[in-house]
Amino acid sequence: MDDFEKYIKENKHQFDEYKADRSKMWSHIESGLETPKTIPLWRKFPLLKIAASILILIGAFSTVNFFITSGFNANNQNNIVHQELKDIDNYYKDLVSFQVQLVKNNPKLQPKDKKEFLSFMDELDEEYETLKLEMTKNLNNEYILEAIVNNYKKRIELIENLLKQINDSKKSNNNDGYIL
Amino acid sequence: METNILYTHKDLVEQSKSGDRNSQYQLYELYIDAMYNISMRMLGTKEDAEDIVQESFIEAFKNLKSFRYESTFGSWLKRIVINKSINHLKLKKIQLTPLDQHEYHISEEANDQVATIDIIKIKKGIKVLPDGYRQIINLYLLEGYDHIEISEILGIAISTSKSQYHRAKKKLIEIVNTL
Repeated sequence: MDDFEKYIKENKHQFDEYKADRSKMWSHIESGLETPKTIPLWRKFPLLKIAASILILIGAFSTVNFFITSGFNANNQNNIVHQELKDIDNYYKDLVSFQVQLVKNNPKLQPKDKKEFLSFMDELDEEYETLKLEMTKNLNNEYILEAIVNNYKKRIELIENLLKQINDSKKSNNNDGYIL
Repeated sequence: METNILYTHKDLVEQSKSGDRNSQYQLYELYIDAMYNISMRMLGTKEDAEDIVQESFIEAFKNLKSFRYESTFGSWLKRIVINKSINHLKLKKIQLTPLDQHEYHISEEANDQVATIDIIKIKKGIKVLPDGYRQIINLYLLEGYDHIEISEILGIAISTSKSQYHRAKKKLIEIVNTL
C-alpha cells in the first residue's frame, strides 16, 4: 500500500460529508415496516383523503350503533351463562356443606381428625373464593373453570375418604356417604 | 476481544428482532449517517441514496432473524446497502466496471506519484471519476473490502478487480494532479 492509499484510508472519516434527513427517512422506514409494499393512495389523490375520513366516520358510527343494539343480546347471553354457573355452584355448595355438617355432627370421630379435616376444608374454601373472584374478571377462562371444578372434586374426595374411614370402623353399610 | 466486537449492540439487535420499534429506531440512529454516506458515494444523488438506504433498513429489520452475529450488525447492514446500491446502478444500466478499450490510451508509465496529497482534491477527484472506477475506489479504499469481497459484490473475477482498481487509482491520481 502506498502513501496515497494510506492517506485516504487514514482519513476515511472525512469522506462522510453528508447528513441524512433522519426524521423523513425514518417515517418512510416505519411505514414500510408496518404495511409492506403499499403505496399511500392519498399521496396521489388528495380527495381520497377526505373520502377516506368520511368512510371512517360512517364505519365508526355503524359499529357504535351495532354495539348498542346488540349489547342487550350479549348481556342476555352472559346472564344465561352466569345463571347456569350459579346453579352448578349452588348444587355443589349445598352438597359440600351438608357433608361438612355430617362430619361435624358425627360422634364417632376423634376431635383431632375432625379438626384436621375442617382445616383442610377451610383451605380449599379460601382457594375457591379467590378462584371465584378471578372468574368474575373473565368468564371465559377455561383454566379457572377447571380449577374450580378440581377444587370441588378435592373436597368431595376428602369427605369420601373420611366417611369411608368412619364406615370401616363402624362396619356398617348404612351411611349417607354412599349418596355420592 | 474479536467475539466481543461481533456482539456490538447485541441487546438492541435482539430487541429489534422481536419487532421492538424503539430499539429499531435506536439502531437506525446509530447507523443512518454511515449508511447514507456509503450510498451517496455509490449513487451520487440524494434521492437515490435516500431510497436505497430506506429500503435497506426495511429489509434489514424484516430479515433480522437471519442475522447470526457472523459479522457485526454494522457490516451486515452495510453489505445490504452496498448490494442494493449496486443493483440500483445495474438497473440504471450504469457500468460497474469500465470497458477496457476506452482506457488503452493511458500509458503504463503514467506518473502515479501524487504531487501534493490533499483530501479536498481527492474528494473532488473521486466524484469526477468515471462511474466504474469510482465504484471500485469506493469499495476498496473507503469501504475497506478486499479484492475477494469486491469480486463477489460486483460479480467479476478477482484478477479483474485488482487490475480495475490499479487503473482506477492511476486515473484518480491523474485527476488529482490536474486539480
